[in-house]
Amino acid sequence: MKNFLAKPYRWAGVFSILLAAAVTFTMMDTFVLEKSMAKDSTSSSPAIQTTTQVKQSVAKSDAAITDNSYQDENIKITIETVRKYDTTMYVADIQVSDVSYLKTALADNTYGRNIKAETSTMAEEKNAIFAINGDYYGFRDTGYVLRNGKAYRSTGKGEALVIDKEGNLSMVSESDVSMQSLSAKGAWQVLSFGPGLVENGKITVDSTSEVGQSKNSNPRTAIAQVSKLHYIVIVSDGRTNESAGLSLLQLAEEFKERGCTTAYNLDGGGSSTMYFNGKIINNPTDGRKNGERQVSDIVYFGY
Amino acid sequence: MSILDINIKNQSKHFRKTILTYLILSILAIVVNKVYALFGHGVSSPAMTWMFLYPLIGGALFYFLIYGFANKIIKFTLYRLFFNIFNSGIATLTFGSFLKGVMDIAGSGSIYLVFYYVVGGLFIAAGLILMFIMVINQKRADA
Repeated sequence: MKNFLAKPYRWAGVFSILLAAAVTFTMMDTFVLEKSMAKDSTSSSPAIQTTTQVKQSVAKSDAAITDNSYQDENIKITIETVRKYDTTMYVADIQVSDVSYLKTALADNTYGRNIKAETSTMAEEKNAIFAINGDYYGFRDTGYVLRNGKAYRSTGKGEALVIDKEGNLSMVSESDVSMQSLSAKGAWQVLSFGPGLVENGKITVDSTSEVGQSKNSNPRTAIAQVSKLHYIVIVSDGRTNESAGLSLLQLAEEFKERGCTTAYNLDGGGSSTMYFNGKIINNPTDGRKNGERQVSDIVYFGY
Repeated sequence: MSILDINIKNQSKHFRKTILTYLILSILAIVVNKVYALFGHGVSSPAMTWMFLYPLIGGALFYFLIYGFANKIIKFTLYRLFFNIFNSGIATLTFGSFLKGVMDIAGSGSIYLVFYYVVGGLFIAAGLILMFIMVINQKRADA
């Protein structure tokens, strides 16, 4: 073996094959291979699904529904299309009577890496009235994940969004606040993308703020709270000839103008999708091809 | 320690070929970064932008210095092992940097990235140790 490798190019040949295999494995592991780590038992049981469907069918039968609005005794949604900053954005004003109508769902009801589905597919499976993409937690190895009261991932160093059992939104630093303490305080949902856009009614980003290495104008998805159980969701188009996309500062200003006290940026770019009553409202695109991207999770309103 | 029968002309050819190869690989790394940037919506990653420095400094410049100051080490049989191990280290670090760049741009990450830097670093360290052994032995032979 020693003599074999000592000859010119043999080591190089063997090592190249090993390195190519390692690189291929790393890429596959990161982007392709599905790794299921836990089932979402909070929403997948047939009994819960049946109860949910019954509640929804009763509510929907009494609901007033148009192309851009929905109202029943528990959920009120109005979607406004706004043209600003050379961009089309979709602003949803949502009021619910109880936090239980604000939910999240995981693709295939499973927590894991590379387990994905379109936002609309997940929304339809959950009979959601309104849904947006979540934080795409499954594309990263860190960042708190707690959904419908169940904690899945407790490592992170960024800024997380907490939705408590009263339905109030707040931001926490994952470096300073442990997932254990969030669970103990009764967190209902924790999403990790960011950054936070508005806190205590004040804008917390500036013109230089950006998500990772991303460029300034992008399709965006963000959620905010106006008052108790009253939320604003903005999804913007971007990366097209029709829509440039929004900067984080522009997005934050839109929330502040609407009186939001807390606003948080979710996964954007090709992931940005707004679903309402069976239709996709925005124009999802990653800048190369149009259409929905598969993501790990959604935030939705419904029964 | 045995000594290979390599004449001065062959030494020079070996180093010039190695340096040229590393220069080409450095240019290739720059081109890969530029081409990748065309599809990245303006998103960039320092790991990918600067990955060409591994073959440029760790490869071309390093072998240029050996050629200038320690070219006699090529006569040792140990040189082939050093050459293989050191080059493998540079390749591992360059690909590790490329993968980190791809993941930074995509907004993702991998627990396996650290292994590229650890393995690459170990190869480089082992190569340098072998090189110093050869340099010391050469100095003893010259004395």
